[in-house]
Amino acid sequence: MAAVIVVHGGAWAIPEELSKASVDGVKAAAREGFSVLKRGGNALDAVESAVRAMEDNNMFNAGHGAALNSEGEVELDAIIMDGRTLASGAVSSVKNIANPVSLARAVMEKTDHVMLTSRGANMFAESIGVVTVPTDALVTEYERNEWEKHKNYITGVMEDFNTKAHDTVGAVAVDCTGNVACATSTGGIRNKMVGRVGDSPVIGAGGYADNFSGAVSCTGHGESILKVTLARHILSYMEQGKTAAEASELALQHMGVRVRGAGGAIVVSPSGQWAATFTTERMAWAAVEDSVLWYGLDPNEKLQDTTFVSVPK
Amino acid sequence: MLPVVVVHGGAGHIPKERAERSTSGVCSAARAGYAILRGGGSSMDAVVEAVALMEDNPAFNAGCGSVLNIKGEVEMDAIVMEGKTLASGAVSAVRNIANPVRLARLVMDKTSHACLTAEGANLFARQMGIPEVPMESLITDYSRMRWKKNLEPNANPVECQMGKTGTVGAVAVDAEGNIACATSTGGMLNKMEGRVGDTPCIGSGGYADNEVGAVSTTGHGEAIMKVTLARLILFHMEQGKSAEEASDLGLAYMKSRVNSLGGVVTVDPRGCWAARFSSRQMSWAAAQRDTLHHGLRSGEHFTQSIDDPH
Repeated sequence: MAAVIVVHGGAWAIPEELSKASVDGVKAAAREGFSVLKRGGNALDAVESAVRAMEDNNMFNAGHGAALNSEGEVELDAIIMDGRTLASGAVSSVKNIANPVSLARAVMEKTDHVMLTSRGANMFAESIGVVTVPTDALVTEYERNEWEKHKNYITGVMEDFNTKAHDTVGAVAVDCTGNVACATSTGGIRNKMVGRVGDSPVIGAGGYADNFSGAVSCTGHGESILKVTLARHILSYMEQGKTAAEASELALQHMGVRVRGAGGAIVVSPSGQWAATFTTERMAWAAVEDSVLWYGLDPNEKLQDTTFVSVPK
Repeated sequence: MLPVVVVHGGAGHIPKERAERSTSGVCSAARAGYAILRGGGSSMDAVVEAVALMEDNPAFNAGCGSVLNIKGEVEMDAIVMEGKTLASGAVSAVRNIANPVRLARLVMDKTSHACLTAEGANLFARQMGIPEVPMESLITDYSRMRWKKNLEPNANPVECQMGKTGTVGAVAVDAEGNIACATSTGGMLNKMEGRVGDTPCIGSGGYADNEVGAVSTTGHGEAIMKVTLARLILFHMEQGKSAEEASDLGLAYMKSRVNSLGGVVTVDPRGCWAARFSSRQMSWAAAQRDTLHHGLRSGEHFTQSIDDPH
């Protein structure tokens, strides 16, 4: 079967001046992930490398470019999950790590645990030789300015979500042997309390992957996504026979009705069916399927990048 | 059928000398929760009080009596969730707090977030005026003995604790039909520093939805997370299964898919409840219609009047 990768760069009201760079960033990440699949890499390798590409890209609120918390610090969350065994790894509120998704993968592969938090996650990183980076290396001038502008406003998380940058990144993939995987990474919400953990690292909320139903990565208002365990909810619809697109729409509608939260999700099924769906104003997404690169930003937009040529093996 | 409260004191193998204390502990917790419900209190108040009582009881792995991490320290996780709004609050890897479940409730009530972790959770506790307690006050001789035993070179902490975990939890439905759950734990014996288990993860350690029911789980945390056990059981109930059938289906799936055992307490909006486990034992108690139910081993189900003190 044909391998598929889908990535998102966050669901929110992406302003016009950031739209091109967001779309370029998700396209580049999708290409990166697809090249892993093309070389015979598995779904897990593909989602990790796609998410790393976005963590390394200053455009996105993950790794480099992360949002600052109320103290002006960077605290990062990430998860990765392997649909073959349901094995997963996550880190929450970790500091000074350029690629939290790879640290999450190390939690999965090198410990008996699923999630490490805060200082414990950093101690683990040190014990396995992960290089730390100074906080300033992760902070963009844009983010520092935005944070300065907003730090004196006391607002709820809902207002923060509606008015400020929020662009969790994520990827889902199915490889040519039918294995699925997901990965999600974020700097969280600007001005969050110290130690706030959002949906991203929480299994079933920020992501879930199961070879028997599919893989999902979510983005949007974290506290709402947690309330409805959005990723797991989408897959429960797929277990009941819904398509990837139907399942995403149903679950996002439920989140809107039940907790008035907006967000987005990318989904793949084990047979290679996929969807990128959102109820926010915009979500930057890209997908590669049958060597065709699709992408979009606005609702119901699905464009083909005709310059994308997948080099044969 | 309403109100009702069901509590558990952890699934696994409970050593004989600890069984009696575990049973009396869950019975007291169920009575305390039921007293609140009978007095017109909310299901949220009932589950928090029931769980806080077990946190204060050194017989359980939560609050005082928590297991120790690899460094011999106590780090605790807790969650609360209310089924009316799906609001929830959680803390993970928090230290020096006597009742993490109360702190989790403050996260829900006083912040716009759903989970605070580690030092951030302690910082918030200080802002809320929650006193910090010395770590020593949370450590028992028993927990220190087990920690030392598991530092020995041939020890197998994962194997050793299967059954001796004593995560505590409660689910309740009040007279108005509002549902809530709460779960609290010291986690896993000799865990790494900063390890977060299933307990504070919504959908794994617990979930509550007025339209479906509530679940609080216990067992091997990493396995519970892999199958998001609480949410899985509620999916089965959404599709028409009873609380008992859904609990058994969820536990059977966890056994077949990730080869692990555990236990749950489950309740539906009408007040039908279940206390089910695939482990050898789980101490549990329930209170409904002025009757106290309790059990420990598979198939055990004792009943007595709620007002009978023994």
